[in-house]
Amino acid sequence: MTLARLVGTKRVLLCAGSGGVGKTTTAAALAIEAAQRGRRTAVLTVDPAQRLKDALRLDVVDGRPRAVPLGEGAAPLDAMLLDVKGTFDDLVRTLARDEDEAARILGNRIYQNLSGALVGSAEYMAVETVHRLARDARYDLLVVDTPPSRHAVDFLDAPRRLLALLDSRAFTILRNPTSILPAAGSRLASLVLRGVLAGIERLTGLGLVREIAEFVGLIESLTDALRERMAAVSALLASDATAIVLVTAPEPRLADETQDLAASLARLGLSIDGLIVNRALPRRLFGAVPPVPPPGLPAGLQRRLLDLHGDLRVVAAREQATLAPIVKRAGAPVLAELPLLGTPPGSLDDLRALARHLFADEPAARVAATPRP
Amino acid sequence: MERRVSAPLVLSSQRLVVVTGKGGVGKSMVAAALARAAAQAGRRVLAVDLAGNALARRLGVRRAGLEPCASPAGPFVAAVEPAEALGDWVRGFMPVPLLSRRLLESTTFQIVAAAAPGLPEYLVLQRVNAWLDERRLGRVRWQLVVVDAPASGHSLPLLAAPATLGALARVGPIASTLARIDRRLHDPARTAVWIVTRPEELPVAETIELHRELDGVLGLPVATPIVNAVPARRFSARDAALLEAAGPPESNPLLFAAALTIAQRREAVAQIRLLRRTLRHPPVRLPFLHVEDDALALDRLTQEIARATGLAA
Repeated sequence: MTLARLVGTKRVLLCAGSGGVGKTTTAAALAIEAAQRGRRTAVLTVDPAQRLKDALRLDVVDGRPRAVPLGEGAAPLDAMLLDVKGTFDDLVRTLARDEDEAARILGNRIYQNLSGALVGSAEYMAVETVHRLARDARYDLLVVDTPPSRHAVDFLDAPRRLLALLDSRAFTILRNPTSILPAAGSRLASLVLRGVLAGIERLTGLGLVREIAEFVGLIESLTDALRERMAAVSALLASDATAIVLVTAPEPRLADETQDLAASLARLGLSIDGLIVNRALPRRLFGAVPPVPPPGLPAGLQRRLLDLHGDLRVVAAREQATLAPIVKRAGAPVLAELPLLGTPPGSLDDLRALARHLFADEPAARVAATPRP
Repeated sequence: MERRVSAPLVLSSQRLVVVTGKGGVGKSMVAAALARAAAQAGRRVLAVDLAGNALARRLGVRRAGLEPCASPAGPFVAAVEPAEALGDWVRGFMPVPLLSRRLLESTTFQIVAAAAPGLPEYLVLQRVNAWLDERRLGRVRWQLVVVDAPASGHSLPLLAAPATLGALARVGPIASTLARIDRRLHDPARTAVWIVTRPEELPVAETIELHRELDGVLGLPVATPIVNAVPARRFSARDAALLEAAGPPESNPLLFAAALTIAQRREAVAQIRLLRRTLRHPPVRLPFLHVEDDALALDRLTQEIARATGLAA
């Protein structure tokens, strides 16, 4: 499937990829193009650069959608920033039985650590935001820039892990650590856990068992509602309505990460729909034959141009060698290549220019002629 | 007469260098280059991977573990991660190793990490500390320990662990070890924290933020930032004008290459200036390398680091 078709037909477009590959910018460019092709679009960004924030008018961090002024002819485009703590707190308020319960959870120390600092809470909350937006009738398409996890699959795996956490035997035992459970396995597990906690208590002088028990007791009241929600998001992410695009770049570290991602996705029954290769030197400009310098330049400058081209040819060859295993391990076609830019995009026009590269094979005019699904 | 200028990243008595930075800036490469440069200068070096095996691989070791092993490149290599360190620690006092491992692999780690923030990271630091204290045949086993810390967002919890956990564990046996590690980390005569970045907007913004946290908030001995892959200045303003007049970048691959390089250079200079202005100190620059493969790049970078640290003869 081409990028134009993905943008034209899907409900959710996930931009996966490691930190630092240009995921956020790519997501923004995709969203702009989608809106220009007539789809009412929301883009969820995580940690954008200042210039991108300025371009999208995302100057206030409050997790609320902001309209991006695309001008005449485009469908509405909203952009928003992921607000981890705020989303988590909102979720607790939504799911708690009453204000009192919500206040107790929000005030619990373990909750505060879990919601703010726990590695992975960004993923949980991105998922929760996707859940909200995907059901929002104002939008045809949701473009999601996933948090820069150490493991790119963390985002997609987040609902399952959160459920596993809530469902786990460990959690049940923690709720009432003093009880000896009947099953032999549980008794051992309980012993181990109590040992762990006792060890930590001994060393830290903290009353952890009581605090954890209190937290688990509080959060348990939310479990059913949370489970429902997470199951719904899991189903959405696994459905045909969602496409996963891997944003990648010619960097050696990404080969292993891509392999891990593909394997983890396969375990979840998901796969990468396509790749967007970012920040590579355009292959066609750095072939084996040196180009002819434009006429009229001084000889010294011509020589330096050829020297530079030679140097970049070495880099381009190395990039292609780096990319080959990444593409192979992703097991998906390259949908588009974004050129290396001297300056990161700092305006809507820059992002539009990027989008033109993304959709070089299928310019908007032709696609716009087909009726919307 | 030769005037001696101290190298910007000089390593004198420091025995621990923690290398961090945004993902993709070449953090592991710089850590590997430092480990090699020190080993080539005759020091007994241990390179420690805290974020996967990137550093180990750079040094020619496919998979490193808790037990230091010799690398073809010279330094010894080891790896340790918070989850693993926690498991290791729990196994130390748990009677059922298999079960404790299985539980720790799953959700308990997260609960423990949330309940006692800083504990898993503390255990990693404790491991590194033990390496620094290790003695063999009456002398310290490792004269220099180079740590490839996780990317910025994840290295903060690591370096903040003594403070985070210290706030919880004011008394008890952890507190004294914690205080010792904390003193070591904060002592500029013994420790240096290196932040690696690239001369681009996001990495520089993240570096400034990280510098503020590590230096300002945590008070760690942060060295002047290292800007990796700085493009050389290849064209003057006059050249640029001539090139622009010669046609649009798309019209000729040579003009494209020149326009790209000029723009990258301009951006790099602006970002380095921003870094210098904000941190009030000129950063160390490492050149962008036009080399065929990683091995050559590491050779070149090792020389650069040897120079910058004063390890070169």
